[in-house]
Amino acid sequence: MTQNAVPSVSWIVRNLWLIPVLPMLAAGIGALLKAAQRRLAATLAIGSMSISLVLALIAFADALSHPVVQIVNFHWMQFGDQWLSLGWLLDPLAAVMLVMVSFVGLLIFIYSVGYMAHDDNFTRFFCFLSLFAGAMLGVVIANSLLLLFMCWEVVGLTSYLLIGFWYHRPAAAAAAKKAFVTTRVGDLGLLLGMVWLYAQSGTLLFYNHGAGCLEQGAVAALAAHVTIGGMAVSTAIGLLVFCGAAGKSGQLPLHVWLPDAMEGPTPVSALIHAATMVAAGVYLIARVYPLMSAQALAVVAWVGAITALFAACIAVAQNDIKRILAYSTVSQLGYMMLGLGVGGVAVGIFHLITHAFFKSLLFLGAGSVIHGCTEEQDIRNMGGLRRFMPITFLTYAAGMLALCGFPLFAGFWSKDAILHAAHGWGLSRGPFYLGAIGALLTAFYMTRQVYYVFFGERRTPEAAAEAVVSQHHGEECAVADPHESPSVMTWPLILLAIFATFLGFVGTPAWPWFQSFLAGQHVTFSFSGFSEPGLLSLMATSSLIVVTGLLLGWWFYGRKPILHPTDPDALERLQPSLFHALADRLYVDEFYGVTVIALTRFAAAFSAFLDRWIFGGIVQLISWIVTGLGWLDFSADKVLVNGGFDLGCRELFVGGRLFTRLQNGRVQNYLRVIGIALVVLVILLLWGRLG
Amino acid sequence: MMSYADLLHFTLPEIVVAVAGLLALTLDITVLRKSPLSNRLRSAVIVALIGCVLAIHFLTRAPHSYGLPDGMFVMTPLTHIVQIALLVLAIFTALLARSTTFTGHIGEYIALILFATVAMMFLVATQNLLLIFVALEFLSLSLYILTGFDKQSRQSAEAALKYFLFGGMSAGFLLFGISLLYGLSGSIELTKIAAALSGPTLDPLLLVAIVMVTIGFGFKVAAAPFHLWAPDAYQGAPTVSAGFIASSSKVASFFVFAQVATIALAGATGGGAFHGYSPGWVPVLAIVAALSMILGNLAAIAQTSLRRLLAYSAIGHAGYMLLGLIAHTQQSLSALVYYVITYALASLGAFGVLGALESEGIDRIADLRGLSRRAPGLSFCLLVFLLSLAGIPPLAGFFGKFYIFSAALSAEPHLGLLWLVLLAVAMSAVSLYYYLRVLKQAYVAESPVREPALRIALLTRLTLWTLAALVVLLGCFPGVLLGWIGLG
Repeated sequence: MTQNAVPSVSWIVRNLWLIPVLPMLAAGIGALLKAAQRRLAATLAIGSMSISLVLALIAFADALSHPVVQIVNFHWMQFGDQWLSLGWLLDPLAAVMLVMVSFVGLLIFIYSVGYMAHDDNFTRFFCFLSLFAGAMLGVVIANSLLLLFMCWEVVGLTSYLLIGFWYHRPAAAAAAKKAFVTTRVGDLGLLLGMVWLYAQSGTLLFYNHGAGCLEQGAVAALAAHVTIGGMAVSTAIGLLVFCGAAGKSGQLPLHVWLPDAMEGPTPVSALIHAATMVAAGVYLIARVYPLMSAQALAVVAWVGAITALFAACIAVAQNDIKRILAYSTVSQLGYMMLGLGVGGVAVGIFHLITHAFFKSLLFLGAGSVIHGCTEEQDIRNMGGLRRFMPITFLTYAAGMLALCGFPLFAGFWSKDAILHAAHGWGLSRGPFYLGAIGALLTAFYMTRQVYYVFFGERRTPEAAAEAVVSQHHGEECAVADPHESPSVMTWPLILLAIFATFLGFVGTPAWPWFQSFLAGQHVTFSFSGFSEPGLLSLMATSSLIVVTGLLLGWWFYGRKPILHPTDPDALERLQPSLFHALADRLYVDEFYGVTVIALTRFAAAFSAFLDRWIFGGIVQLISWIVTGLGWLDFSADKVLVNGGFDLGCRELFVGGRLFTRLQNGRVQNYLRVIGIALVVLVILLLWGRLG
Repeated sequence: MMSYADLLHFTLPEIVVAVAGLLALTLDITVLRKSPLSNRLRSAVIVALIGCVLAIHFLTRAPHSYGLPDGMFVMTPLTHIVQIALLVLAIFTALLARSTTFTGHIGEYIALILFATVAMMFLVATQNLLLIFVALEFLSLSLYILTGFDKQSRQSAEAALKYFLFGGMSAGFLLFGISLLYGLSGSIELTKIAAALSGPTLDPLLLVAIVMVTIGFGFKVAAAPFHLWAPDAYQGAPTVSAGFIASSSKVASFFVFAQVATIALAGATGGGAFHGYSPGWVPVLAIVAALSMILGNLAAIAQTSLRRLLAYSAIGHAGYMLLGLIAHTQQSLSALVYYVITYALASLGAFGVLGALESEGIDRIADLRGLSRRAPGLSFCLLVFLLSLAGIPPLAGFFGKFYIFSAALSAEPHLGLLWLVLLAVAMSAVSLYYYLRVLKQAYVAESPVREPALRIALLTRLTLWTLAALVVLLGCFPGVLLGWIGLG
């Protein structure tokens, strides 16, 4: 990336701060609204987001014409003789993210109007959503790791608030807490990295006309410095920053919070836990990419690849519609990290953008399904929804194919770029194989889900019980047929589906516009891009993998329709122990339960013991001594001091009376006082002069 | 050489106020003779306002510093500020007088307030002993009449007589002191006196003169033991007059006292430190200040009448303010000006509240029960004024005390005045007690019977609110006034 040499920046860059501030402002006003002002709250949120989107598009256009880093920095506060500066930047990466976040955000805001229509806390929901959007946009345009970190933490806070939005459900409250604590573990790493970076380079600004920490001078100095174990400082800092990214983006081993986060309302899952917030970690790595040394990138690639496969395995055996998507998100985030690690910024970010569209589409589709089936989330209790919800089905299918990487769909191009880069990676072929198996599993579990949800006959627990209670008329009314969602929910689906299908064409090997844009280069259209050695065969292989996955899915789940919700899974019949292990999420949570959490519990109990018996004992002892002294003091106080004080007060009062008596109303006495004062004062002065 | 044109030009603000006074008088006894009382009041107040505002206008347009020979007329930026403050206080007094009903002689009343203001403006603008005395007498005479203005009230007449007798006596002392100074130095101009008196030893006669001058000015600022007129006068006088005496005349008297002491008697300061006693005016004032603080604050505790309480608290405040004079550094004198101006605002406000209450028959502290329900706005104003007098942050009174005390502590010799400052702080704590006693009645004590809401004239309410806002604002942004005075 090239440094902007022109000091004067355009109007949109100078006012870029408006993009995050507007939704934040809407959140601030929303916080003051009454719960009954629902329409106003939604209008504010959607209105501010629309303006942000327009501004983001203007910024995007500006970045198109000036594909360089444009910055605006300002002093924030001073300590000692140093100024702490903050600022914002606009470069192709930020521009792309701005448009994606504000566009997807806006669609999800609109969708939420329908989805949350019956919720009592509608106003609060939009307040949180706006705050989140503002903070996320802030992360994107921050030109300082500190500012980024601040917005990052606000993003974490809103994630906590929104996961626990239905706080009266114990599961939601626990999930919110888990998300907050787990990401905090990663943020600790990020904070340490930030402090270290500041100590080493003296600045947290990314770009500052040659003096920023991502620019040539600082990066070279960091890479030259060697720390513990012969590791370059830049590697160490890069790994610490990656800790934060791993926490936010649900990378192994900090992925556990993300599936639980599905306790939040579905639009939240779509916006925060699929499209934007979880991508913040990927964005962070892309942002500090100049800092990441080859060793650090290798770690990123391996962690990403392992996460991609690991989460895909677990997704195979889940029954909750949103959980499947959550594990799929973890897996796809792994792909993005893999892309960053082996291929560079463009590869990872391309997948991030396409994924944001098709995953939010899938989540919103799942939300539509849940909404239509009166809050049912278990896929075994669905089935046959294709007929009841045609729009949802079609858009969902588009999203599913994009996710699987079916040829020509968006996911195909972006995932293929990652696999291609992994194939060409010099250090090891391992990540490529992991990614390829992951892709097979992705196609498989998505086919399983779609068959369960949309195909076959309708299976509900009520339908099973219908024979028994068929006389009860009221019961039958309650088990109403699933219905298509209102248009305020389906329109965002359709729009997203269009993007999920066609977005990939901005980054094909023949016309790699996206990649060139991020790199600030000019692009030409030519089919010779395909003629790169191995590319076509790799594409064929990956298509083959996807088709295999789809066919396997059909073989297991589509061949014979699933008739009964309690029927064992096809895979379960084949490999019961493996299936159960996967269904129990490979016991990661349990593992943490007996290790980290047990250790913490023990430490807590030990601390409590120390506190209660050792320190508490000392305190108790001191308190006894003090109490004893207090008694002694009290008795002294009561007799001597208190008596004395009372006496003093009485004296004061009597004195006041006495002075009043001086004022007896007789002028002749008053005048006498003057005479006396004259004599006394003169004598005093003369005496002082003599003495 | 002085030309009369210069004289007229320099004294234009004073002339404008004096003409306004005469105009108010003339209008009232000629054109408006037969008009209803309310109309006469309104026109008199409007004339007074126009006069004061015009005078302020001329003052702000006047050159930086100028003067006439022999110290007869000396204008500095500080004098400008003090004169403007006096005019502002006169405006507020006139506005509060708008709703008075005790007298039919409206023109005279307003004219007297304006004449007293003219006298004070001359008082602060001169450094000539003779002119000081003349202006002081002009002021005193106006104030005597203002005190006795309520002809139906015996109390008012009695208060005026006591005030007059006491004032005449102390004026005699002051004149005697002035003549001694003239005899010793051969000059009546403050700077020349200082030059003539600068010698290594103090003449015993000078000491006598110091004491006599102190008596004269101590009477004006109501410092103990020359305070005895104050409680009676404050209680007997019409409320507006009492507020005027407690605010405006305090500002002017302290200013001229400080000028005489620090300019003319610069060579006879003496030492007021606890171990560094040496004869001069500082130890005399230290004794007077200590007495004022103790006596004023303790006697205030025992009062049942609000006015007498304010009178005694005024004596205590005079003690604090003398502290600024005793320290006689540039800083402490600026602090003194800040203190006396903010004190005057709060004090005038408190008397304004009293006036509004008295027209409803409330005079004793016990009558304030349940006031916060009957007149929430008025009680809040009272709260602001009293807490400012007690020195609670962030009100103006707190910063006044703070600046005076810190300036006194930093004066040479280092920490020499610690004993006085400690006494002042202790007495401030005592003062909080009686101020809170009043507020407790107004805010906490319940009225046994449900009394109707008080009806206060809109103009009075607006005036009081403005005063309260000024007290709060000067407390929140003390830098504004301090910057003008020269401390900030």
